[in-house]
Amino acid sequence: MRLTCLRWLVVNSLLLSALYANAATRPRYGGILRISTSSVLNSIDPGDTPDSLLRRNLTRLLFDTLVVVDDNGTIQPSLADSWNSSSGGQRWQFTLRHGITFSDGSPLTSDLVAASLRRANPAWKVVAQADVVSIELDAAVADFPAELSLTRNAIVRRDDKLLGTGPFVVSQWEPQRRLVLTARDDYRDGRVFLDTIELEMGKPLREQNIAFDLGRSDVVEISPEQSRHAAADGKKLMSSSPTELMALLFARDAQSVTEQKLREALAMSIDRPSMNRVLLRNNGEAAGSLLPIWMTGYGFVFSADANQARAKQLRAEAGPARAWTLGYDNDDPLARVIAERILLNARDAGLSVQTTLSASADIRLVLIPLALTNERIELSELVSAMGLPAIKLSSSDSESVYGAEETLLQSRRVIPVLHLRHVLGVNANVQGWIAHRDGSWDVQNVWLSGK
Amino acid sequence: MNFRRKLMGVFVLTVVLSVATVAGIVSWVVRRSFDKADDERTAALVAQFRREFDRRGKEVNHSVETIAGSDAATRIALAVNQNVADYGPYLNDAESIADSHRLDFLEFADDQGMIISSAQWPARFGYKESFFPAVAGANTNAFLKQEELPNSVALGIFALRANTVGDKPLYIIGGRQLDKDFLASIELPAGMRTMLYQNLSGTFSAQNLIDPSGSVQSSEQLAGLIKQVQQQAKESAAIIHWSSSADDDEVVRAIPLTGIDQKLLGILLVGNSRRAYVELGRHIRSAAFLALGAGIVLAVVFSSWAAARVTRPVEQLVVAAREVAGGNWSAQAPVASSDELGELAASFNQMTHELLDQKERLVQTERVAAWRELARRLAHELKNPLFPLQLTVENLLRARQQSPEQFEEIFQESSETLLAEIANLKTIIGRFSEFSKMPQPQWQKLDLNEMVRNVGRLFQAQLRAPERTAIECQLQLADDLSPIAADPDLLHRALSNLVLNAMDAMPEGGTLTLRTSRQGENARIEVSDTGKGLTPEECERLFTPYYTSKAHGTGLGLAIVQSVINDHGGRISVHSEPGQGTAFVIELPSNMEKVALLKAEAKNDRL
Repeated sequence: MRLTCLRWLVVNSLLLSALYANAATRPRYGGILRISTSSVLNSIDPGDTPDSLLRRNLTRLLFDTLVVVDDNGTIQPSLADSWNSSSGGQRWQFTLRHGITFSDGSPLTSDLVAASLRRANPAWKVVAQADVVSIELDAAVADFPAELSLTRNAIVRRDDKLLGTGPFVVSQWEPQRRLVLTARDDYRDGRVFLDTIELEMGKPLREQNIAFDLGRSDVVEISPEQSRHAAADGKKLMSSSPTELMALLFARDAQSVTEQKLREALAMSIDRPSMNRVLLRNNGEAAGSLLPIWMTGYGFVFSADANQARAKQLRAEAGPARAWTLGYDNDDPLARVIAERILLNARDAGLSVQTTLSASADIRLVLIPLALTNERIELSELVSAMGLPAIKLSSSDSESVYGAEETLLQSRRVIPVLHLRHVLGVNANVQGWIAHRDGSWDVQNVWLSGK
Repeated sequence: MNFRRKLMGVFVLTVVLSVATVAGIVSWVVRRSFDKADDERTAALVAQFRREFDRRGKEVNHSVETIAGSDAATRIALAVNQNVADYGPYLNDAESIADSHRLDFLEFADDQGMIISSAQWPARFGYKESFFPAVAGANTNAFLKQEELPNSVALGIFALRANTVGDKPLYIIGGRQLDKDFLASIELPAGMRTMLYQNLSGTFSAQNLIDPSGSVQSSEQLAGLIKQVQQQAKESAAIIHWSSSADDDEVVRAIPLTGIDQKLLGILLVGNSRRAYVELGRHIRSAAFLALGAGIVLAVVFSSWAAARVTRPVEQLVVAAREVAGGNWSAQAPVASSDELGELAASFNQMTHELLDQKERLVQTERVAAWRELARRLAHELKNPLFPLQLTVENLLRARQQSPEQFEEIFQESSETLLAEIANLKTIIGRFSEFSKMPQPQWQKLDLNEMVRNVGRLFQAQLRAPERTAIECQLQLADDLSPIAADPDLLHRALSNLVLNAMDAMPEGGTLTLRTSRQGENARIEVSDTGKGLTPEECERLFTPYYTSKAHGTGLGLAIVQSVINDHGGRISVHSEPGQGTAFVIELPSNMEKVALLKAEAKNDRL
């Protein structure tokens, strides 16, 4: 009897434990996910500039595109069920999914889709027919659907306010400060687990860390130099592939051979590996190319190592030269220290560079998010984001992209410095958060465990 | 310049000199005092700066020493001794430690001086500390050092310590910036300020000069002083004129600040406003001007009073003297005091009294003399006809006694003689009677030129009489001569008298000139001869009644002429030199108002 009782107790204990464990790992609805970021937005319109990782993530929460690109670079349906092309890729037709509504309950129509796309791309000829949207391009583009996955091509209904078809709807919006999103019950793929997402913008990394440690924030940004400490402290880190390019962008083209030499000397003087090792704590990559190696595969061809001897030689050949001013984002401490390091490296080569907070600097240290669709679009978007003359690439083969990138680098208008990863610290109660290569927030399956 | 003005000038000059002297002395004393106070205040401020510098140095020393002994430094020192290749984990340590110790500068450097972590320039990791190994190993006190920053160079108080947990020391270099906050922390007396010049090169650069508020306005004014210190590396001072207003002037003392190698790294500038001194100087000047003004007013008033006190009796004396000169011999100067001026007035009064007495005595004497002269003349004049009368009467008596037959004949002859002499006596008596009864002028409009022509015409025959040498008569008459009011008969008689005198003066012939001219409002008649002339003594007595220079004559002719001219309101003068002839000049006023008055009276009478 005592043995039976004992067995009964053991079995019941095991059953209770299993039940409890199952309850802890089973997704559940409800809860507020609090996200902090140092970035800020003035608007939530996907078509506004500048493009940033924050804008992309918010766009995914509020709006949808016709197609999306997954981590493998494969184009997946979203608002469009299917698509086909004719005229060798110059004319495309996208068939919309049925039963999709905007956050106000109004149905998604091909006319609204066509209007949204026309506004974002005035050069396209977009026509709506029943549930089909036809797009005619100036020239044939084989991988055109990938372009529709870009943030600016999200489908937006612009009436009195912006309406999207995404899983969340805006319930509170304070530009540059705070955004509160509420889950839609009528989302096409079903309601998400979270009730609300509270986004706090413009919060310094240090404050984010404090808020995280005090349990006031669930998802925070982790600076590269903090990542090791954060990992040591047991934080759950979500690191993306290098998703941002930090580069030196000259305000104008080189006006002479001498200036070309000076710019080449500057490019060669920069000790990128040292920056990545010490300043980024290896949470990035020394960038000799504009596009990251993981995307193109040819990035190693462009050397990222410093060559002070050659830099000095080029500097000596150039003769007397005026001092350059180097501007950077003063709100970004990493940008400041990298700018100052570049200044030191440049001085070692005999170049005269001074950092400045003025907007009219000769050189700017810029941080540009990568499109992460395919190399062709990536490079085009990069060039566009830097305000450089557009490059025309009809095909996405690596050879064409490489050639275009090499030409761009040879112009010395832009000098790549580093590719940065995006690292997030995620609270232990946040379940189902997946670290995507592009650093996007995938909250579709995120739920809060209640711990 | 009269005495009153001279006295006033002396008083004013005395006041001005006195006030200026006092103001100058006060200004000099004030300036000396201010300079002395300025020196003392500057010395006190420099001492305070050094104390503040030492205090900051001790704080920095203490902070760096604390950091050197901290776990964080020991952890880095262990890494250095373990030859860890990657100092990345310590990159931000310096910044956070510097923050916690309130240091502006903090760097960790390995045994080779390679920077492991830098608070002021985090990107400098891997670079070598600039002043290493100059002070490596030296456990020095705080020192001044220039620290290179990304876009500038800062001046700071530094301290160096080493952590020697292993064989290889870890150097900790910490410091605080000497900036505007440091300058602001120095308590300053009113009117003083400090500035700091960071000496980055041998030349002056305005950007390197700061004061507690930041950049210094018009800092170029200090360029000369700073260059002087740069060249001489010793304390110097100058007065800086910040603007055209002296209120903004400042005495700036420049004190060189040197580093551990005695290199000139900075210059402390202590400014002492001269506003108070300038304002005091202005007040002194204002007071001096006020005193000067008041002094001048008082001097004027006092000098006027004093001058009046002194000069009034003198002026009264002058008035009295003028009255005496004008003929009022009884004029008296009032004796208002018993001082020298009183004595002077009394003496003047006594003098006039005596002069009056003397005049009266003289008049009496002259009157007696005149009567004697008159008696002598009368006797002389009467004696001439009386003597023939006596002889004639005696001859008649003798003839009656001795030759009665001839008595009738002799009686007839003697009677003629007696009558002639009696007539002669009558004539003499008539002349005297005429002089005693000079008539008043009967005013009427008179053309002088016409009257002179008539006189010339009247004497023409006598001038050319065969019994005497001819005298030429020349008439020089002015065309612009206006008519005057005069008595034609009296003037004619006077002029005739002068012509007769001229004829008497030229027994050997000559030239008689009758000239008229206009002299302002007056008419002028000149009667001149080319005779033997007169002596000065004769000229003086010429118009004295009964005086004559001729052998015959009553001596009344010229006296009558003078009397006529005086009655016309004119005057007569004589100009003569012996052998050069004599000229009588008559000046007559217009007197036309008298004619108008006469006409008006006549009109009234008719009415």
